[in-house]
Amino acid sequence: MPATTTLPTRLASELSSIVGPENLLAHRDERLVYECDGFVIEKNVPDLVVFPTSTEQVVGVVKACGRAGVPFVPRGAGTSLAGGTLAVGGGVMICLTRMKRILEVNARDRYAVVEPGVVNVWLTRALAGSGFHYAPDPSSQGACTIGGNVATNSGGPHTLKYGVTVNHVLGVELVLPDGSVVQAGGPEEDHPGYDLTGLIVGHEGTFGIVTKVTVDLTRDPEAGRTFLGVFETVEAATEAVSGIIAAGIVPAALEMLDNPMIRAVEAAFRFGFPTEAGAVLIIETDGLDAGLEREAQSIASIVRSNGGSVAKAITWRTRKEPEYMAIWKARKSAFGAIGRLSPTFCTQDGVVPRTKLPHILRFITAVGERHDIRIANVFHAGDGNIHPILLFDERDPDQVRRVLEASHEILEECINVGGSVTGEHGIGVEKMSFMPRLFSPADLAAMVALRTAFNPAGLCSPDKMIPGGAGCIERKSPGHKASA
Amino acid sequence: MLDLSPPVIETIALNWPETSAGGVLGDGRSASATDRPSSLEELCEIVARRVGEGHALYPQGGATALDYGGIPRRPGVAIDLRGLARVVDYPAADMTITIEAGMTLAALQKTLGEQGQRLTLEAPLADRATLGGIFATNASGPRRFGLGRPRDQIIGIRYVDGEGRAIKGGGRVVKNVAGYDLPKLLTGSMGTLGIIAELTLKVRPKPEASALAWVRFRRLADAAQALDRLNTSGTRPVALELLNAPTARKVGGGAGLPVEEWVLVVGFEDNAASVAWQLDRLTLELGRTDLVFLKDNDSAPLWSALVDSQADEDAPLTFAANLKPSAALVFLGSIDAARWAIQTHAGNGIVRGHFQDEANFEEIAPEVDRLRAEAVRLGGSLTLPRCPTGWKDRLKVWGNPRADWAIAEKVKKALDPRGVLNPGRFVGVI
Repeated sequence: MPATTTLPTRLASELSSIVGPENLLAHRDERLVYECDGFVIEKNVPDLVVFPTSTEQVVGVVKACGRAGVPFVPRGAGTSLAGGTLAVGGGVMICLTRMKRILEVNARDRYAVVEPGVVNVWLTRALAGSGFHYAPDPSSQGACTIGGNVATNSGGPHTLKYGVTVNHVLGVELVLPDGSVVQAGGPEEDHPGYDLTGLIVGHEGTFGIVTKVTVDLTRDPEAGRTFLGVFETVEAATEAVSGIIAAGIVPAALEMLDNPMIRAVEAAFRFGFPTEAGAVLIIETDGLDAGLEREAQSIASIVRSNGGSVAKAITWRTRKEPEYMAIWKARKSAFGAIGRLSPTFCTQDGVVPRTKLPHILRFITAVGERHDIRIANVFHAGDGNIHPILLFDERDPDQVRRVLEASHEILEECINVGGSVTGEHGIGVEKMSFMPRLFSPADLAAMVALRTAFNPAGLCSPDKMIPGGAGCIERKSPGHKASA
Repeated sequence: MLDLSPPVIETIALNWPETSAGGVLGDGRSASATDRPSSLEELCEIVARRVGEGHALYPQGGATALDYGGIPRRPGVAIDLRGLARVVDYPAADMTITIEAGMTLAALQKTLGEQGQRLTLEAPLADRATLGGIFATNASGPRRFGLGRPRDQIIGIRYVDGEGRAIKGGGRVVKNVAGYDLPKLLTGSMGTLGIIAELTLKVRPKPEASALAWVRFRRLADAAQALDRLNTSGTRPVALELLNAPTARKVGGGAGLPVEEWVLVVGFEDNAASVAWQLDRLTLELGRTDLVFLKDNDSAPLWSALVDSQADEDAPLTFAANLKPSAALVFLGSIDAARWAIQTHAGNGIVRGHFQDEANFEEIAPEVDRLRAEAVRLGGSLTLPRCPTGWKDRLKVWGNPRADWAIAEKVKKALDPRGVLNPGRFVGVI
């Protein structure tokens, strides 16, 4: 089944002369690590991997690929959980991790310009002490790149108050598949013309290769409060979330872990989470110190009136304080903690209207029981973005089948209650089959037309995100299955 | 495989109507007719039929900005969306609302207000301006500094394309990355990619307290210094408006506020304890004892005046320059403050100037050229949101062509291959 391209031998030497031999991987054993990203169910080894170090090199690479008719796919740190960087059908993988300079930081005008391979947390570190930060902080921020964040419109735990990546990207430089370079947006707001920046963010690599990103900078909060609410049931914790929103409080974060997740995190980090609790809720508010005390009192009373207790209440001035970092390390490493429970896991990224959280969580429990699959949950309760983590052993084909079925049913239910199949991970290859459930043929035709405007030959990230259209290789699944 | 090719319809050459009996399109152009759909289905049917008849389509809302943009290029019908004004879904606890595009901003705010919520978006003439129009034109107000632009509030859209098909993008949940971000693309697209029929928006709780501080300066350099200082202020303003004397008189006159050459208006919104602290802190940071504070209900008229003054209907010509915030302050130094009423979203680098004299083309044209050259030199652009029709081609209402307009034209061709949506209105040949 794998549609492996046979590369013209000339292409490898041509690419080598563009990026330099030290920035090209040709041997299969070197390329093997690039066979998948954080989505491990489908794999395919790219035929060549290149690491350009400049926009000009990216232009050279895509032009050479275009001349040879060989598909190419951009990749950052490979933390995608939806197969966004899978080299479907082989071709050239363009790794942007060696374009990693922070080109400009301008605190007065509140922007920074970075290359796509800059790791999210590097920018935050570079800004330390300036009074500003880059707001989007996906859980993988220690590894994921800003280019990847732009491709998938990444979220993270603080999106409820601060928005997602697109809300913080002012402009991008995009190398189109034909090698021309588009400058969309920039440090100035409201340039006349379409909001191409808004369209390009979240393109999952299907429009071209982003080679530069202008992001806005957000003032640091003066202070914050982080609470650990402990509840007997997920329902009670969800009621508390509703109560907080109804009280007119917009927390910086509202993160929930269910019991299996609490146990996993506790086993890994010994943070002191109560392992008998049905759910813990991390509630964070930030802003000016003068306004926080009353909010804190309201939150504590809402937690208690929903049968919960406040196990920890931290008052912080910066997000560097040890107690603060400990809580978030536990949360952001939740996926890693799962490694202790199961050889493989697959996480889903569905979204439901927040008020439907108790329903979807009951549904997930039932699905897990029906398919005999263990499922742990950690999620962004404030935006209704769930992350059920399905535990399995990828060596067992029957478990793989059951995990895929269970995932499917969960995402179907998200659609049924008016939500979406992905809040922040992207469609990738994983969820393409859901697109016709979310969108009509006319909606999808409009999206295909847009992709064709940027990527007419379909060589850039083929068979991703939007099903159908030009340059589409007919296939049911890419590469080989992990279980094969 | 999806069929992308539009059905072939013979194009009929139509003439411009001789009277405005069928309605107006703006810029002195008359509509062949005005259609008033009252449902999405009816809108789709009208579009398909009118395009079949050879008409171009000119969507309209509250008609508060009919003359905005380029001149309508070919005859067509006006489509008045005000009959689509229903709330489709308002799950207040999810902090989202889905509405039809013909609803006015004032009506929406009233609905939200009943649940203690609001849309954090402003536009002039809110009792007439529709949400469809506001999003199509990317309108905003002073609060954009702290609370975001239209692109930050929109999460879902339904629009009708030039074939009469309803197209959906985004969804109704606050976080959603399925499919391309059509809501962002349509925002600010001037009705040239689709007729916006329905919007899903993020809403917020109303703040407990609101205040405006009125700070006077004799010299621009002093105002600029204060703004530099406020960039790292201990406070967190949601609005930073820098006005010259003519604008300050206009917006503050009613309240009897004292005016000098420059006035900086600083807006705060949060809970009461935070706002009170910020006003004290601002006084301390600026080292001034003559600040005037307007609090809560007393601040409402000035907030509104600051929004409405963006669209000065008496001015013959209005420019808008978009710059980096620090560059905007440099740009202000190049404007003749006696002849232009100036309002700057100082935190966002947006400068608006309304010409205060009788418009005389020979005099104003070189002035626009000079200001545009200065804006471009500083890295920005200069557009003309308001301009007499006869001057539009010469003065280039959208400014100098930008490199990304080439791809914008490809986007236009992809979504409106027959060019029936608002032809002539937007940048380049769009």
